[in-house]
Amino acid sequence: MNTFADPTKAVMNLARRDARDKLRGRTRYTVDHVTPGTLHAFLLRSQIASARIVSLDTSVARKMPGVRGIATAEDAPGMHGIGIADHPLFAKDIIRYDGEPIAAVAAETLEQAKAAVAAIIVELEPLPAIVTMAEALAPDAALIHKDWKNYEVLLEGAARGGNVAWEAKVIRGDTDAAFARPDVEIIDSCFRVGRQNHVPFEPRAVVATFEDGRFHIQTSTQVPWTVRHVTAKVLGIPNSQVRVTVPPVGGAFGLKFDCSLEPFAAILARATGRRVALVNSRREEMLTCLCRENAEIRIRSAVTKDGEIVGREATVLMDCGAYGGEQVFLTTMTAHTLGGNYRLGSVRLSSRAVYTNTAPNGAFRACNGVYNTFALERHTDEICQAIGMNPLEFRRINVIGDQDIGATGQVFEGNVLGPMLERMEQLKQKMPSKRALAGNRLYGRATTVGTWFIFVGPSAATVNLNTDGSATLVTSGVEIGSGTMMQSLPQIVAASLGIDPSEVIVKTADTDASGFDLGVGGGRTTVSIGAASVAACEEVRKTILTVASEMLQTKAERLVLGNGRVEIIGVPGSGMTIAAVAKRAQELFGPVAGSGAFTKPGIPAMAGCAMGHFIDAIDIPVFAVHECEVAVDPDTGHVEILDYRVVQDVGRALNPRAIHGQIQGGVVQGLGYALHEEMSLDGFGRIRQSGLETYRLPLAQDVVPVQIDLYEGGPSIGPLGTKGAGEVPILNVGAVVACAVANAIGKPVHELPLTPPRVLSLILEDSHNLDLEHISRKWEENTIR
Amino acid sequence: MSLQLDVNGEDRMFYGDPMTPLLDVLRNTFLLTGAKDVCREGFCGACTVRIDGVPTMSCLRPVALLQDSKIVTIEGLGIEGDLTPLQQAFEDHDAVQCGMCFPGMVMSLTEFLGRRPEASREEMKEALVGNICRCTGYERIIDAALSVRLALEAAE
Repeated sequence: MNTFADPTKAVMNLARRDARDKLRGRTRYTVDHVTPGTLHAFLLRSQIASARIVSLDTSVARKMPGVRGIATAEDAPGMHGIGIADHPLFAKDIIRYDGEPIAAVAAETLEQAKAAVAAIIVELEPLPAIVTMAEALAPDAALIHKDWKNYEVLLEGAARGGNVAWEAKVIRGDTDAAFARPDVEIIDSCFRVGRQNHVPFEPRAVVATFEDGRFHIQTSTQVPWTVRHVTAKVLGIPNSQVRVTVPPVGGAFGLKFDCSLEPFAAILARATGRRVALVNSRREEMLTCLCRENAEIRIRSAVTKDGEIVGREATVLMDCGAYGGEQVFLTTMTAHTLGGNYRLGSVRLSSRAVYTNTAPNGAFRACNGVYNTFALERHTDEICQAIGMNPLEFRRINVIGDQDIGATGQVFEGNVLGPMLERMEQLKQKMPSKRALAGNRLYGRATTVGTWFIFVGPSAATVNLNTDGSATLVTSGVEIGSGTMMQSLPQIVAASLGIDPSEVIVKTADTDASGFDLGVGGGRTTVSIGAASVAACEEVRKTILTVASEMLQTKAERLVLGNGRVEIIGVPGSGMTIAAVAKRAQELFGPVAGSGAFTKPGIPAMAGCAMGHFIDAIDIPVFAVHECEVAVDPDTGHVEILDYRVVQDVGRALNPRAIHGQIQGGVVQGLGYALHEEMSLDGFGRIRQSGLETYRLPLAQDVVPVQIDLYEGGPSIGPLGTKGAGEVPILNVGAVVACAVANAIGKPVHELPLTPPRVLSLILEDSHNLDLEHISRKWEENTIR
Repeated sequence: MSLQLDVNGEDRMFYGDPMTPLLDVLRNTFLLTGAKDVCREGFCGACTVRIDGVPTMSCLRPVALLQDSKIVTIEGLGIEGDLTPLQQAFEDHDAVQCGMCFPGMVMSLTEFLGRRPEASREEMKEALVGNICRCTGYERIIDAALSVRLALEAAE
C-alpha cells in the first residue's frame, strides 16, 4: 500500500487560510490577548554591562499603587542553557550585560508596573566590562563566568575554558602536510561581521495564568516544548506542570527559537493568582534581541595551481554575549557551512562561542551559515585571484558532488550543486544583464554557492478522521508566517487521505494536546512534522481501506482514495464517500485516528573527525546558488542591487508560489544584512541601535524582484522528497553581494554590512587587508589545549 | 478627561490622559487591535489608520487632537466584513506572511490607489516608504496593488 502513488497530487499553489483575517486586522497574536483585567508586567533591567549586586530592596516598590507582585532571583533558582546550564533567569549576585533582568513587577497598569520598577533600590559595585571577543580571549582577561567549571553540562564532549563557552572542532586529514607541500599557494583571509536584529513585528510577548496547580503559558514562540522545559527548569518544578499554547506568531526568524520572557510571566501569575502579560517594548527588543551574532573569522587554504584545495584551516569566533545560548549549539554549524560547498583534501576547523559582557545572541534564519558563507565565498574569490582561475570554473570543479565527503567525513549523495550552477547559467542567459542601468557607476557581478541543512529531529502527529469526512491534524507546529501550517501540512495530509485541503483542520501547538516537537525552525516543519503526519495518515488510511474493503466487497489493494471518496480502481463512481466509511468504522471500532512520529535517520560522520558537535553530519543537505549584479556609486559608496537571481534546491516544491514568496522575503532580509542592517556596541557594552531610526531595515524602494528557479529532484528523506524552503533563501545573500561589490570596486571585501561609508573607505584606501591578530595563523593556538 | 471620538462612524468615549496616543486608545480601550503597535516611532507604519481620509501613524497622534476628526481603522474597511478589492488582491497573490504589517499596508495603499489609480510600480514603492514589511520583500505586495488597477481598467 503506497500512500503516495502520485505525489504530484500534493503539489498546488494553495492559498493561505489565515490571510483574510490578517488582512482585516482580525488575527489575534499574543500581543492582542492582553485583555482588560490582565496584569501588566515590567522588568527591572540592568543599565550597566558588568557589576556586582551589593543589595536589592523591593520593599518600597511592593507598597506602590496597583502593584500585585514582584519577583527576583529567589523565585527562580534554576539555571538553563544549551549544552551548559549557565543562564539564571534573573541576575543574582553578578550582572553580566546591559539589559539583564534583575526583578519583575506585575501591576494593574503598565504605568504602575514601571513606576514600581523605578522604586526598586539596587546597590551596585561596577566591574570592568569585556565588550569585544579580542578582550575576552586576551591571556589576562577576567572571567565572565568565574564559576564555569561547576556549571551543569548538558552535552558532554566539548572543550570549554575561560571565556570560551564552547569549542567545536573538526580535524580530518593532515593539514600540516598539505600546507607544507611545495606545489601549493597559501591564501589567508580574515572576515568580520556585526550583529543582525530580527525585528519581528510582533515582539516577544507572553500571557500566563496559574490555575489548579498548573501554568498555562500563551506565548509568541517557535518552540512550545522548549518553553515548557525551560520554564519548569528555572522554576524548579516538573515539566508536566506547564502547558504552552501558541496563537499566530507575528514574525520570528529564529528570535523566538528560545525561551525568554515566559518564566517571568509564569512566576508572577503564580504569585498573584492573576492573568499576567509581559510584552517587550521595541526598545527592549532592540537592546536585548537574541541577534545573529557578530563573528570574526580566519580562513587559510592550501590550493594547487589547478585549483585543488588540498588543505583548509579556519577559526570562527562567535560572540555569544553574556550567556552561551544558541551559539553553543551553532558552533556545530561551522563544519557544515564554512566546511561546506567544496571538496577538501584535509581540514581543521575551530568554532568557538565566546563570552562577552554584552546582550546574549541567538538564532537567526540560517544562523552561522550566513556569515560563514560570506567568508567562504569571498575567500574562494581570493583563491581564484591568487591562482588566476575563473571563479565560476573554480566552483564547477570543486563543489561537493555525489559520493564526495564533507568536512566531517560524511558522504554526500547525488550531484546537486554542479547541475544547479548550470541552471544558473541558463537563468542568466534567459534574462539580459542589467549592466546598462549602472550608468557611470562601478558595475560588479558575482555567483556564489552555499550549503545549508534541514534541522530534523523529533516530531509527533495525530490525525483524527471525523465522520463528516474531514481530518484534524494535531501537532506542536506553530504558524510563524512562513505558511507551513497553512499550506504544506494540509496539502500533505489531504493528499495522503484523498480529501480536499480545506477539509484538513490544522490545530496549532498545545503541549497538553500534541506530542513533543523540537520546534518550528531550521526549515524542519514540512519535513519533520510532515513526515510524522504522513505516518499518522498511513494508519488512518489503513483503517479506511480495511472498512471500505468490507463495505464494497473488494480487496483493499483494488481501492484508491481521492476527491473525498474511496473508489474501486478504474471504476469511478463505484465506491462511497470517506465520510460514510468513517461513520461505519466508528460504529465498528470507535473513532478513527492515527498517530505518527519522526526523528532523524542519523547519517554517519567519519569516526573521530568532529569534536564538541551537536550534529556530526547533516541529514538533509540543502544547496543554493545566488547571482547578483550591483552598481556602486564611486562618490558616495552607495550600493544598488540591479538584479538578483536564485537557484534553490527544494527537493520537491509542494507549493511553488509560497516558496517563491519565502525566497523573495529571505533575499531581502539578506540584503539588509549585506548592506545596512548593523547592530553595534558602544565602549560600555550597550547596543547603540535602540529603534528603527538607527537600525535601517530594507524598504520597498531598496528591493528588486528576485528571479527564481526551483531545483527539484535532489535527494531528500523528507516526505514526498521535500526539503524545507523558508530558511535557506537568506544564506548566500551577504556572500554574493560582497563578491559583486568586490568585483565592482576592484578591492577585497572583508566586512559586512557594506554601508556607504564602509564601501567608500574601501574605494579610497590604498590597501585594506583585515588582519585579526587575536586569531593566530597557527591553528592549534586557536583551540583549548 | 473625557473625549468624544468618531471611530469607524460610531461615537466613542475615552476617559483618560489626553496625551495618550490614538494607537493605545484604539487597542487598549476600544479593543480594536487591528492597528499594530510595532515601533511607536512613526517608522514602520503598522499602526496606520485614516484620520479625515489621510493615512496617519496612530502611535504619534495624541488623542485629544482628534475630537473633531473622523477616524477609520482597518476594522472599518470593507462592507459587512467582506474584503476590499485590494485585500482580495493580497489574498489572491499569496502576499501575506506573518501579517503584522498588512493592516497598515492596506490603510496606506487603499488611500494611495484611490488618489493615484494610474501610479506606476516605482511610484507605488515610493508610496510605501512609511510601511515596512519584514517578511515578504515587498514585490508581491506591489504586484497585488498593480493588479487592482488592471482589474479596474478591465472592468471599464
